[in-house]
Amino acid sequence: MKRTPSEQRIIELLAPGALCRDGFLGDDHRELQEILDADRATVEALGLTHRDIAAALDDACRAAMAGLEAPVHLTSGNLVAEFHDAMGFIPSPWGEGKLFAKGEVVVTDPATGDRLVYTPLSVHLIGKHGFYQGRGSPYRLDPARVARLFGLGRRASNLDTTSGKET
Amino acid sequence: MTAMLAETAAQLSPSPGLWIVLISAALTDNILLTRFLGMCPFLSISKQLKSAFGMGLAVMIVTGCTCVLNYLLYVHLLLPLAPYGVPAESLKLILFIVVIAGFVQLLEMVIERISLKLYFSLGIFLPLITVNCAILGASLFMVNNVAGKGYDGWDVLVYGFGAGAGWFLAIMLMAGIRHRISGGKVPAGLQGVGITLIITGIMAMAFTIFQGMIRS
Amino acid sequence: MTSVLPIILAAAAACAVTTSLAAMLMLAERYLVKYGTCRLDVNSSDRVIEVKGGKSVLESLKAEGIFVPSACGGRGTCAYCKLKITEGGGPVAPTELALLSEQELSENVRITCQVKVRNDMSLVVPEHLLSAGEYRGVVERITDLTHDIKNLRIRLVEPKSIKYQPGQYIQLEAPAYGSNPEAVFRAYSMSSMPDEDDCLELIIRLVPGGICTTWVFTMLAEGDEVRFNGPYGDFHLSETDREMIWIAGGSGMAPFWSMVRHMAAHDMARKTTYFFGAVRARDLFLVEELRKLDQHHEWFTFVPALSAPADEDNWDGETGRITDVVDRHVSDGSQAEVYLCGSPGMVDAAGRVVTAKGIPPERIFFDKFG
Repeated sequence: MKRTPSEQRIIELLAPGALCRDGFLGDDHRELQEILDADRATVEALGLTHRDIAAALDDACRAAMAGLEAPVHLTSGNLVAEFHDAMGFIPSPWGEGKLFAKGEVVVTDPATGDRLVYTPLSVHLIGKHGFYQGRGSPYRLDPARVARLFGLGRRASNLDTTSGKET
Repeated sequence: MTAMLAETAAQLSPSPGLWIVLISAALTDNILLTRFLGMCPFLSISKQLKSAFGMGLAVMIVTGCTCVLNYLLYVHLLLPLAPYGVPAESLKLILFIVVIAGFVQLLEMVIERISLKLYFSLGIFLPLITVNCAILGASLFMVNNVAGKGYDGWDVLVYGFGAGAGWFLAIMLMAGIRHRISGGKVPAGLQGVGITLIITGIMAMAFTIFQGMIRS
Repeated sequence: MTSVLPIILAAAAACAVTTSLAAMLMLAERYLVKYGTCRLDVNSSDRVIEVKGGKSVLESLKAEGIFVPSACGGRGTCAYCKLKITEGGGPVAPTELALLSEQELSENVRITCQVKVRNDMSLVVPEHLLSAGEYRGVVERITDLTHDIKNLRIRLVEPKSIKYQPGQYIQLEAPAYGSNPEAVFRAYSMSSMPDEDDCLELIIRLVPGGICTTWVFTMLAEGDEVRFNGPYGDFHLSETDREMIWIAGGSGMAPFWSMVRHMAAHDMARKTTYFFGAVRARDLFLVEELRKLDQHHEWFTFVPALSAPADEDNWDGETGRITDVVDRHVSDGSQAEVYLCGSPGMVDAAGRVVTAKGIPPERIFFDKFG
């Protein structure tokens, strides 16, 4: 598929070694647009928008960062969030020039053992661009798993949310 | 109505032939919507109006110039050699492709040198259109027209730019339509390329109203 | 015999067309694409560089030993490489427009990795970038300070010595490896003492998925050659005699470890309180050394704090988040200077706490690259 120069730049920056070691696409061989479309379909089936999911992730991230690496109990649900600091900033691969703190947030549900790991940059990519990252990427977030952990949206019975296939 | 327009145009302009050439190249025989050439960049770059404009302009300029160059090559090199047994029909394919590729490279360098502003708006699309089959197709149709309809140099010039303008028109229309429907709900299976192809089909059907405008 | 003629003619025609096109392209390449030698006038003729045109300003400056920072490898997305190009910059590229504000555009600030050198230009380059140099060294020792922090000791090879102020940083080059296709540069503060000018030490914390830290932690070995440039940075001890409050976490220890030993060696008896925050005991390091300095020098007080000590840590020191500990300890900060070094989140939080204590913004110092 032919791509505009700006799309080509984004794809280059998503590759491993461009901005971070593992890149944002993991071992997913699908085109970027396919990944975006598939995840958007999941989000719509849940009755949510990308903003809803990003907002929940952002709240948890901010609460975790305020804890300065110590575990924090989130106000919504019985979740525990922990932020692992790192020095430096990482730019967005979409090239808007925004810089995001490096480091990762780990949100756990002690009751079920469910665990999500993501970064401030991944929150921006979800909210602004609907990009949940490719399969195999260390910080990929499956929208269904996020919804389940934070208790968002409706449960779609035909969605395979419990199979554990998705990483 | 359209027949009346054609009559009036024929009476007004000094060389009525050129108007007919232009209208047939851009509308009745639209290289994309009637002949279905150049679909690949059309589908992927019609997402944004700005890129569509840059791409369409680049295609128009390259199609126009390469049609003329290929005409000169055909008429002054291949045809004179035909009596010696040189197969003009087979050779033209290879030579046209090489001319188009070389021309695009040259054009990119020239544009970057003379106007950076122009380079930023359309120069970056030039490498993308080197193998745009609409451009090769226009050159090949041009040969048919030279042989069949007796086009001369000026006709070829108008034909080339007209065909490119038709492609330009089609991609701008598509970009506008995609922009309009971007907020709407498209069924999951059709998102992206699917709905674009359906829209292309509908546009192609709409363009058939131009058929019969030219009495050939 | 006659059947060969068409083939020869056809081949000749094809060759003629292709050759003339190739020749035209080569001529075009020689006369159109070559921009010749261009003059880069830096800081109003303070330094004039002659470079071959055609490369980006960023690359051209790098070839001349001026290392403008970049976090995205020159792909026009991080905006670290901004410089003012007062003359000869040409039209602004679309990739730059996304990264520059109206204010910056009106001041001729450009994204130097997206501007090609096509003609003579005038640039403004900050002083600290100009005085930095390129260095080659050998890894003398790698020690583990904690489970995710290493100390890297580098002996200088070429040049043999480095001059810097405590608090400055260098940009370490991580070479291409594994899935990393290009060398990248990452900034690390020097933790060594400037007096020991034939070597330097860095405190590096593993960043999950980090290009440079992965290389340091998994591939770098003692005896390996490393390259870096510097020194850079405005983060250093001020010229005043004011009381200092230092706040750090994790690898933010580096500049302060350099500063306190430098002060001790040079009898700079300025009242200093150093707050160092960690989560649990296994995240602390250099504690014994800093406690010794605290005992030896009455101007220096070391306050380590754990925000979530484990039971087996048997911690009897300060507990809670470092910002809360600072809040408790500092009553009147109106005359003090604050030095912050840590992750962006920690620096922001600490900045808010000290501002609430009455410390004006011009007396709060931190490294922008943290």
